[in-house]
Amino acid sequence: MNGSDKPGPCFYFSLLRVLAALRSGDARRAENNWGEACLAGIAIYLISYLFFAHWVPENLMVWQRTLLLLLLVFFVWLFWLVVFYVNSLVIRFLQLCGLLRTIPIRRAQSVLLGISASAMALSLVQGGSWPAEIGAVWMISVAMNLTAAAILAFRDDSSNEAE
Amino acid sequence: MMAPSSASRLGRFAVRGVFWREYLDWATINLPFYVYPVNVFFFTLFFFFFAAPARRAIVANLAVVLPGSGPAMNHLRAFRTLWNFAWTITDAALYKLIRAEFAYEIVGAESLEQLGASPSAIVLTAHMGNYDLGAALFADKFNREIRMVRAPEPDRQTAEHLSSSLEQTGAGAVKVDYNTGGALLSFDLLNALRAGEIVSIQGDRVDGEVAQVSALLFGTNVQLPNGPFVLAQVAGVPIYPLFIARAGYRRYQVIVYEPIVVVRTSHSREKDIADAVTKWCAVLEETVSHRWDQWFAFIPIFSPDERKR
Repeated sequence: MNGSDKPGPCFYFSLLRVLAALRSGDARRAENNWGEACLAGIAIYLISYLFFAHWVPENLMVWQRTLLLLLLVFFVWLFWLVVFYVNSLVIRFLQLCGLLRTIPIRRAQSVLLGISASAMALSLVQGGSWPAEIGAVWMISVAMNLTAAAILAFRDDSSNEAE
Repeated sequence: MMAPSSASRLGRFAVRGVFWREYLDWATINLPFYVYPVNVFFFTLFFFFFAAPARRAIVANLAVVLPGSGPAMNHLRAFRTLWNFAWTITDAALYKLIRAEFAYEIVGAESLEQLGASPSAIVLTAHMGNYDLGAALFADKFNREIRMVRAPEPDRQTAEHLSSSLEQTGAGAVKVDYNTGGALLSFDLLNALRAGEIVSIQGDRVDGEVAQVSALLFGTNVQLPNGPFVLAQVAGVPIYPLFIARAGYRRYQVIVYEPIVVVRTSHSREKDIADAVTKWCAVLEETVSHRWDQWFAFIPIFSPDERKR
């Protein structure tokens, strides 16, 4: 814990960290930003919800469809709980094989989660209609974030060489 | 070794079973931080429905704390209280397992410095905010050992998990005792105070067969534990009211009030204790009225007869 008022690093995602660096801020990774946590968490939840909602048959009666869409809210949460557990087993297996050993499990989980959400977003883009717009926003954000991650990695390498 | 019975296996999944605490530890290590807001929301929703006695207790307590608030609004407030509870135990797990950084500000810094410097004292707190994290913070900041007295957990495995969590969070400087009503603990605590330790007790509710004292809280009669006051009087140590309130995402407020001294006059021991209890109730009332959404007293504090008045 700390009781200081000094502004420290405050972003987790590379895109925001690059923006912080451009404004002479602290570009180190941090997990203390409520807005970032909510935005990313809700975005992943929304994309997975829309992905599964796409599978609800359209020939049902309105009340049946409404009920299913309501139940889907909880189903998506349970789905992710199971996915997280399966992912953790996959990560442990990969670590046994000598992969992903240098990063914490929750970071590795973040990579797998990003891949799953992007696959769902891609499916939304292909499906058309308004969910495609949300899927496209996600895909663009992921692309920008990956580019920013590459910039940060390049910058870190350059500064290490300079030292 | 005996195999666990099916009842105890199922008990793991009860609302106060150890399964949920273990899941929280697992999630802390395995899940990225941005998954927490959605996860905490759904778990709060889950417990809002399945932890019905706790929900009813919160609603009943809120009816006294916020007299103008109707039952429907109090149910929404109960959700908010459970949501805050979920965040505080999540934060405690984050600190315990990955030593996550938390920002905090101190309200009443002078009293906190006094407490840190005092040879021994009683910290009187409530089931409010993040008292587990607070004990660890205090032990860390002042390099002092602290002995926490908690109400016993109904589930043995959960109690063991909580004790080891607290001791892990406090890096060995926090020791946990359970308030079981026996005289042995009182002597233990008295010896600890005489040996210069700091004892932390939750003084906002009576749980189990412990010595009680009647008091007036929010204009209503309540029973509070009298142990802290008797102990302070016998050991001749001050009582520091202290609360750790959640102030935002990974932000806390440490609120310390001026010490309550339980004087020993020649007149009446009960009167001296009653005076100290009255002062404690004033502090508790002020804190709870401002932070009712962080009062995790999951049993009815005010008796139904009193609430009807």
